[in-house]
Amino acid sequence: MFGVDLYRLWAMARKEALQLRRDRRSLALAFVLPVLLVLIFGYAISWDVRDIPLAVVDQDRTQRSRALVEAFTSSGYFHLVPSPPTYEEADGWLERERARMVLILRPTFAARVESGRLAPVQALVDGADANTAAIALNYAQVIVGAYSARVAAELHGTALRQAPLTPQVRIWYNETLTSRNAIVPGLIAVVMMIIAAMLTSLTIAREWERGTMEQLAATPVHPLEVVLGKLIPYVVIGLIDVLMTLALGLLVFQVPFRGSMGFLLLSSLFFLLGAFGVGLFISASLRSQLLATQVSMLATYLPSFLLSGFAFDLTNMPRILQLLSLVIPARYFVVIIKGVFLKGIGLAVLWPELLAMAAFSVIGLGLAARSFHKDLE
Amino acid sequence: MNWLRLREMVRKELRQMFRDPRMARLVFISPIIQLVVFGYAVTTDVHNTPTYVVDLDQTQESRSLVATLTAGGYFRVVGRSDRPSDLRRVLDRGDALFGLEIPRGFASDLSQGQAVVQILVDGTSANTATTAQGYAVGIVNDFGSKAIPIRGTPSGVELRAQVWYNSNLESRVYNVPATAGIIILLMCLMLTSLSIVRERELGTLEQLMVSPLRPVELILGKTLPVVGVAMIDLLLVSLVATLWFGIPIRGSISLLVLSSLFYVVAGLGMGLLVSTISDTQQEAFMSMYLIFLPAMLLSGFMFPVSSMPEVFQKITLLNPIRYFLETLRSIFLKGAGISVLWPQVLALAVMGVVALGFATRRFRKRIG
Amino acid sequence: MPDAVQFAIDIQGLTRRFGDFTAVDHLTFQVKPGEIFGLLGPNGAGKTTAIKMLTGLLLPTEGSGRVAGLDMVTETEEIRGRIGYMSQLFSLYGDLTVEENVSLFAGLYGVTGSELRERKQWTLEMAGLADQGQKRTAELPLGWKQRLALGCAVLHKPDILFLDEPTSGVDPISRRRFWDLIYSLAEGGTTVLVSTHYMEEAEYCHRIALLNRGKLIALDQPAVLRESNPHPILELEADDVLKALTEVQKSPEVLDAVLFGRSVHVTVKDRESALQSLGPFLAASGVTVRSIEPVTPTLEDVVVSLVTAAGGARED
Repeated sequence: MFGVDLYRLWAMARKEALQLRRDRRSLALAFVLPVLLVLIFGYAISWDVRDIPLAVVDQDRTQRSRALVEAFTSSGYFHLVPSPPTYEEADGWLERERARMVLILRPTFAARVESGRLAPVQALVDGADANTAAIALNYAQVIVGAYSARVAAELHGTALRQAPLTPQVRIWYNETLTSRNAIVPGLIAVVMMIIAAMLTSLTIAREWERGTMEQLAATPVHPLEVVLGKLIPYVVIGLIDVLMTLALGLLVFQVPFRGSMGFLLLSSLFFLLGAFGVGLFISASLRSQLLATQVSMLATYLPSFLLSGFAFDLTNMPRILQLLSLVIPARYFVVIIKGVFLKGIGLAVLWPELLAMAAFSVIGLGLAARSFHKDLE
Repeated sequence: MNWLRLREMVRKELRQMFRDPRMARLVFISPIIQLVVFGYAVTTDVHNTPTYVVDLDQTQESRSLVATLTAGGYFRVVGRSDRPSDLRRVLDRGDALFGLEIPRGFASDLSQGQAVVQILVDGTSANTATTAQGYAVGIVNDFGSKAIPIRGTPSGVELRAQVWYNSNLESRVYNVPATAGIIILLMCLMLTSLSIVRERELGTLEQLMVSPLRPVELILGKTLPVVGVAMIDLLLVSLVATLWFGIPIRGSISLLVLSSLFYVVAGLGMGLLVSTISDTQQEAFMSMYLIFLPAMLLSGFMFPVSSMPEVFQKITLLNPIRYFLETLRSIFLKGAGISVLWPQVLALAVMGVVALGFATRRFRKRIG
Repeated sequence: MPDAVQFAIDIQGLTRRFGDFTAVDHLTFQVKPGEIFGLLGPNGAGKTTAIKMLTGLLLPTEGSGRVAGLDMVTETEEIRGRIGYMSQLFSLYGDLTVEENVSLFAGLYGVTGSELRERKQWTLEMAGLADQGQKRTAELPLGWKQRLALGCAVLHKPDILFLDEPTSGVDPISRRRFWDLIYSLAEGGTTVLVSTHYMEEAEYCHRIALLNRGKLIALDQPAVLRESNPHPILELEADDVLKALTEVQKSPEVLDAVLFGRSVHVTVKDRESALQSLGPFLAASGVTVRSIEPVTPTLEDVVVSLVTAAGGARED
């Protein structure tokens, strides 16, 4: 099929496996690294915002005002900055970054609350880190809203007039909105992408610089056999890596797993083939190892992180970028992994993504074989 | 230090760097392209979130609610139906991240002040879920209180927020300069980490060792040209950030240049250090690959430092990107000066010196 | 200001170990200024390691020495300004042009101004590259590369030149040209220490040191060495040369036997007794001997037998 002789293919694969086995260091990295990375970053990164430095200018100093401040600090989202500023100093604090938010309670606060009038609370928010600021603001509003309702109930005996329209929010797939659940699956995908690209560009370049390629050219080996032969041991390693990182996600991070393991492994296979194919193509076509490493860094690293939907949602990006992300293999894998873990969906829903990754593998491998072809002739 | 030797080393490095015409393109053009592309990608602003609407009421009021929801540009309707089961299908598929279900009788419930609508949020989305949810709830509440005007005077405690430096809370304003910083560091690492190992593998390093060349001259000879290239890159990406993306620079440009210089030197130092401790180009490449990963993830760029566990927050203290992002943010948005930023600038300078120092010490003019 | 230099290179008991592997074992010799001194020996004999120690690239595990009158261990940097070095593999910058490489090394060795112009000119002409200054060195044929490397090594007119197998892989004609250059350098007063495993190159040296397994096993002028053959050599002609080769090695008189053209060169313990006994010995094994005669050993023969006597070459 395709002019591939299985026996020769096996010989190539075995050679690659032997070389790989002797390269202890690469082997250790290939196995240990993905697990280590997912483990470390699974713990380290999240979007949950806590311990926001809050400075309070309490000009009222009544039980009411202190109760409000208490509501803020006991929420766990904010921590009070010691020795708060005076009203005049408040402005400068944000600038000097001694706090991210400054609450200002005027002297009339308690009085207004007790008399049933509107009691404003001023908040100065450092908007530089927009994401954190928006979340902090959100928390603050929720806390103030809850405080307001409590006070109303206490003073008037009834809950605040019920709103005429109540939105009932239901979060699907990740009910507690634990950011780790959303992050870890995506993390597995991008880590695998990085490792795959790294391993493959190394193997080719290494071969070139040793001159063994030329020796191979003298044999009747077919370019596709070379390519596939190189891949097989790495694909095996890659699949083992995927299993190990999956285990991490399930056991250590307790990310819910609702879909089919089989489908996930199948997708991983295609993903690996695609990633490897791209990596091979890059190093096979750029004969210089220097250039190959640089191009592969550029082509895989940042795009995998920024355009795959891992850290930044694709839906928020301009249309053009959403289209661009279609050529990034990691994008499909992220969708599939999240879908299998959290949504419990499988082939029936995700077949387009699977198809896309299959297309990547075919294209990547084909291109790689073509570039070998030209050199081996 | 011999200036003639240093000059010849710098010349050689520059010649080698640009001997391959593709390098020039890679080195100068790719950062620009990257920033333009990624600058648009690194946004956490909720925008056109695909929303699926199941309107079982089909009244003027319900349609008005939907229109209000989408009016602000946060949400975009991608489909409608009158079957609630469709919602599950669409959200599963990922065609929508958000669902709005308006029950039958909504209009009449509303006039009686007892209406309820269901908002469904895809919790797998990176950070859209939380923010979008907040917006939606706000919009719906607003709609409700406008539909049925509140009688009597307002009461209760109300939060009045004033957002500084970035009143629209546009994430791009912070993220674009940060992305620029990341791109530059990547370039620095790429250019230096293979540098010394390459010479070792090719044998030219030995020839240099046998000559009167001093270690500090070698390291500087490799550093200076890359500093030059990196600073040019910085200029280019800054132009992109300000002219294309319209990010304002409120602070001092000379402080920006100074801290960028230290940042670049720190990055180069790291790359060169990697080069001196690696035996083969392979190793150097892998080390660089793997250093960049935590450097990017644990810098405060995509994930806030304050959300990390204590131990990781401490680790970020060793990351030049962290300090650089802080200086960028402060200079671009807050107009902060050296009086606020001296700790970061100092940290970067120290890192650069230490890394270069280590690299110099490691380059012994002996083998084995 | 070093003392009046008596020897260009003077080493005592120079030893280098890597773990429990002794690459160079108590090497002792002196090289006179202006001498062409050859280091000869099979692969793994320690020639390259010795040169790397002399150029300061490796520190000796034991022993001491002076190069250009300066201490090898403590004054390495000073030595570097006065010596030139050419390594086994081409180690100039392949992606730089001929001229750019020359400029670089001139700069590194402090050759400037008019002296630079003159040396540059000289180097290019010497290497036959006068009109190829703009060519990338990676594109040059090997012989030209080596000459260029030699030129770059002597831009600063060093006292001593260290050459580590400079002509391996180079065609014989280029090799000849190369040695012409070495001769002219030596005549100009440069001391040359060159390692080689080509026998005819050994003949070009004033003196050669034969190394095996890190030890010095012979040191003399090539002509003298040739005469000092420890074991006599007989030339054996037979009908079935290959069979003769195999069979003759079974004789107790025979130390070693190699094919030499269409005859066999046999190293024997004692010439007279071998001349008498080998013929019948081989006939008994079914080999018809056409003639056995003593021959003047070549340097190669001598070297081989010396090495064999010293335990044979290292396997690696």
